[in-house]
Amino acid sequence: MAEARKVREKPQRFTNSMRKKLIWVFVLAALAFVGLSIRLILINRDEGENYSRKVLSQQRYDSTTIPFRRGDIVDANGTVLAYSEKVYNIILDTTQLTDKEAYLEPTLNALQKEFGLDVTQIRSYVSTHPDSRYYILKKTMTFDEIAGFRALQDSASETYDENVKGIWFEENYIRKYPNGTLASDVIGFTTGDNEGTYGLEEYYDDVLNGNPGREFGYLDDDLNLERTTIPAEDGNTIVSTIDGNIQTIVTKYLREFNEEYKNNVRTANGAHNVGCIIMEVNTGNILAMAGAPFFDLNDTRNKDALIGQPMVDENGNRTGEYITEENVSTLEGDLLFQNYNALWKNFCITDTYEPGSVAKPFTIAGAIEDGSITGEEVYNCTGELEVGGWPIQCHGGFGHGNISVAGGIEQSCNVVMMKVSQAEGAAKFAAAQNRFGFGLRTGIDLAGEVRTVGLTYTASQLGPSELATNSFGQSFNVSMIEMISGYCSLINGGNYYEPHMVSKVLSSSGATIKNIEPRVLRQTVSPSTSEQILRDCNLVVSGENGTGKTARPAGYMIGGKTGTAETLPRGNREYVVSFMGHAPAVDPQIAIYVVVDRANAARQDDAKYATRIVRSILTETLPYLGIPMTETLTEEEAKELENLESAWIRTDEAQVEAEEEQQDTEPAVYEGTDVPDEEYTDLLEEESEAPFFESFEIDEETGYYVDPATGTMIDPETGEVFNAQSLPDGL
Amino acid sequence: MVSRVDFSERRNNIRLNRRRIRPVRSMNPPAVQTIEAAMPKVGYIDYSLIFTIIVLCAFGLLMLFSTSSYNASLTMGDPTYYFRHQLIATALGAVVMIVTALIPYGFWKKLYVPAYVVSVISLLLVLTPLGIEKNGARRWIKVGGTSIQPAEIAKIGLIIFLAALVCKLGRNLAIMKGKLIFLGVTLPVAGMLYLITDNLSSALIVFGIALVMLFVATPDYKNFVLIGALFAAVAAVIVYLIMNVESVAEAGFRFHRIQVWLNPEAYEKGFQTVQGLYAIGSGGILGKGLGQSMQKLGFVPEAQNDMIFSIICEELGLFGAFLVMVLFMVLIWRLFVIANNAPDRFGAMITVGVMAHIMIQVILNIAVVTNTIPNTGITLPFISYGGTSILFLMAEMGLVMSVARRINA
Repeated sequence: MAEARKVREKPQRFTNSMRKKLIWVFVLAALAFVGLSIRLILINRDEGENYSRKVLSQQRYDSTTIPFRRGDIVDANGTVLAYSEKVYNIILDTTQLTDKEAYLEPTLNALQKEFGLDVTQIRSYVSTHPDSRYYILKKTMTFDEIAGFRALQDSASETYDENVKGIWFEENYIRKYPNGTLASDVIGFTTGDNEGTYGLEEYYDDVLNGNPGREFGYLDDDLNLERTTIPAEDGNTIVSTIDGNIQTIVTKYLREFNEEYKNNVRTANGAHNVGCIIMEVNTGNILAMAGAPFFDLNDTRNKDALIGQPMVDENGNRTGEYITEENVSTLEGDLLFQNYNALWKNFCITDTYEPGSVAKPFTIAGAIEDGSITGEEVYNCTGELEVGGWPIQCHGGFGHGNISVAGGIEQSCNVVMMKVSQAEGAAKFAAAQNRFGFGLRTGIDLAGEVRTVGLTYTASQLGPSELATNSFGQSFNVSMIEMISGYCSLINGGNYYEPHMVSKVLSSSGATIKNIEPRVLRQTVSPSTSEQILRDCNLVVSGENGTGKTARPAGYMIGGKTGTAETLPRGNREYVVSFMGHAPAVDPQIAIYVVVDRANAARQDDAKYATRIVRSILTETLPYLGIPMTETLTEEEAKELENLESAWIRTDEAQVEAEEEQQDTEPAVYEGTDVPDEEYTDLLEEESEAPFFESFEIDEETGYYVDPATGTMIDPETGEVFNAQSLPDGL
Repeated sequence: MVSRVDFSERRNNIRLNRRRIRPVRSMNPPAVQTIEAAMPKVGYIDYSLIFTIIVLCAFGLLMLFSTSSYNASLTMGDPTYYFRHQLIATALGAVVMIVTALIPYGFWKKLYVPAYVVSVISLLLVLTPLGIEKNGARRWIKVGGTSIQPAEIAKIGLIIFLAALVCKLGRNLAIMKGKLIFLGVTLPVAGMLYLITDNLSSALIVFGIALVMLFVATPDYKNFVLIGALFAAVAAVIVYLIMNVESVAEAGFRFHRIQVWLNPEAYEKGFQTVQGLYAIGSGGILGKGLGQSMQKLGFVPEAQNDMIFSIICEELGLFGAFLVMVLFMVLIWRLFVIANNAPDRFGAMITVGVMAHIMIQVILNIAVVTNTIPNTGITLPFISYGGTSILFLMAEMGLVMSVARRINA
């Protein structure tokens, strides 16, 4: 105890002076607190509103966009012409990768092993960009290609490696065209951001595109941060009226023509352009549309496709040269782009030319319709006609002698046309042209249809010589689609259908959301005039002196009109030859129009360039469409058909084999849609069995459709069915 | 022992604990003796202090969870990541606090040299392979499965060492030589903190603690006023010079933070400060409500660390901010009371050191967050995220409680 007391006495005390100083410390601390409190109040008082606004203005709920899937383009049979495939971009997040040293090597090794990436390059990127969170290592990988790497990152998989970090996959879609060059002008293509360029892709851009989804953070009622995903809305699928099989046939023969005449007299394609349209006469549906030269939709910027094409300058005008293997590499910048445009554009709807003799049926039909002639007149052709002081030649030069109106079409007599137009007069002629749609857009659902206003003559502009040349299809310009749309109305009883390419819009799940019905825009001629023209046009092929005999396919009788038009300047010996026809000759179902723009031949003014193509195409197309043969086959023709048939079988077999091979390597085309494959194909089969829409007669009194099978009437708006007896009151 | 207290010593205690003493006085002396004899000899327990610590820890955990959950779910995939770690550290700290409180603090007086050595060695360990580098600074060492910050060890080690040194130097502290020795032994630790761990703020805190302890331990005022005036003058000159400098390069890397302080919106490095100010300014008087901060959603970087006070301001407003400051004021006041009543100088100086530590850190933190001083990374005690920090803060609290137990109430 005594010791303890000793120790207790020793301890140094916390003296009063120290206490005093400690009070100072405490007071200073308290003052500092007061000072800071004042500072806090001042910040709130002076800047409170300003800072509150700043806080709100910088809210962005860091969201990510989920890409949508652009809709497909399928043909009338459900064959996919264009689809979008999900692909993945490999993204490197350096900050995550370098978070732990242990991550770097395993991750780099995995990248090299799975994707064959250059590790040294990545390593140097990582060291120079330690704060990078988004760097695209590789683009457009398929699901299978990244599956191996994903397994490394998946804690549930056997190959899981916890040290593989800092890599993620960004979803995207790329556009694919399984048939490559098929219908390239019609389909068009897309640029990177799902923006359609040319053709259906451009015209139906809004329909095909969906809405991107979003993944974002937001504050809920209790102001907790929630993450929400709004899924992307996939785009709609459009069903084209194009029949892939007919399109293939057309493509085949246009290509064959090109091969035959390529580098013939000039080192270039078989012709500047060769266009072909096949259209359903009674609906306006386009079954096939093609314009050579073609290009691969999967590889739109392949310079090789330009070779053989007439070169254009920076303004898109022809230079007179042709693109060759030698000079193609010199094309660059705007010049290259203009030449690509010339390749990508759709000749059938964007190019105009003087139609030539194919306009003759229109001249006659117009004159009969407005009562200027009866169609039974006979004229005398001496080989030329003096108009306005100048002689205008009929072709051949010797004259057709006494020739009827029908003969004028059959033998393509210019003099008959000039005399008919003289009888008709400028005003009526111009009105008729207008009725046939010359100088007007047809309104076809394709991007880039040319505006032809000003390319035809008004009544006041039609002097005697203009009227004369107009009558046989020179001096005014048209597009192919204008001509064939007008022609369909001439031979189908006078109904001018709006030509169209898409019959139906399907949602991403396969449900029909819109049917596009055929639309009659106007009556061009009366049924009787139509019949007369049909008869006359049939003579062009079947008549003794018909100019279009070579267009007749084996086993069928068809009708039509040839055309040989001089181009400007006159006398340059460059011609646009064409054949516009219909099949079968009686009750025509389809119309076909082939235009060969400046064939690569010494003599270009021969309509046979076109008629031969028409013949080849129809020989395959008409049996495909199930149109019964009406003509007896000659031995030669029978043999020809036999050869064709065996060729079909061969290609079919080759196709099946190729498809089987493809199935091994490539995912099915429909993988990735929301609809199970089976369901989708069922759906498409159904569609191809029954027509998407039927063309009904219209009851004149009520405006209702008349069902041709039962005779009942259908209200086109409500779909209600009426018998003749149960019509609603007032009708 | 308790009953045989020298009366004069007891009177001293009464000065600040009158209220506490009064009921004892009114009691019958024999009765008091009986009760006290029946009770375990835990000595004086400062319930106000314990209550304040519990409230601070609980409030700190709450705010930490609110502040860090977004960051945690984003970077760790688990919103409770920081909260759980802090909770474990706090629980561990509570145990450490109780153990430290039960150890008579006199024990540490004998270990004052080892305490200094441990501080220095732990700082040197950062240079060994045990050191861990995070965000470009080597400030951690690996111990077992976790990482700890030697700066926190150095703070508590130095407090013990300096408290003992005050006793050892005794009257020598009154002369300049003693003062220089006192500060001279502090400098190596502060210097190492700055040079090895590149941690200016910890160096400042350590030096500040030493300065406060020295101030209290010596009767001298003049020199401290002079030092304060000199510091203010130098700071003013530097700020004046920097104000007239246009480019970052001219100011130099060291002084760039002063440029940022003067005009935080103009520089990239002012982002954190500006976002913190936005948070404070947008809080208003009552704040946006607990958990409703917008600035913690990725705008205030690592909001659970140094800038947590700005989020408190945003969520709980000036009201919440003052509440936090009052809590710290109560804590400092309790430490002040305990120091004043400490049975000996060593205990008092330990308490003064702890008080200085908390005081300096809280004031500097709030000053940084409000951009009152240039930005330097200082955490808010008990509230900011940091396992080592909370663990050693609790140990310091345990030390103070051990001192408090010896107060003869």
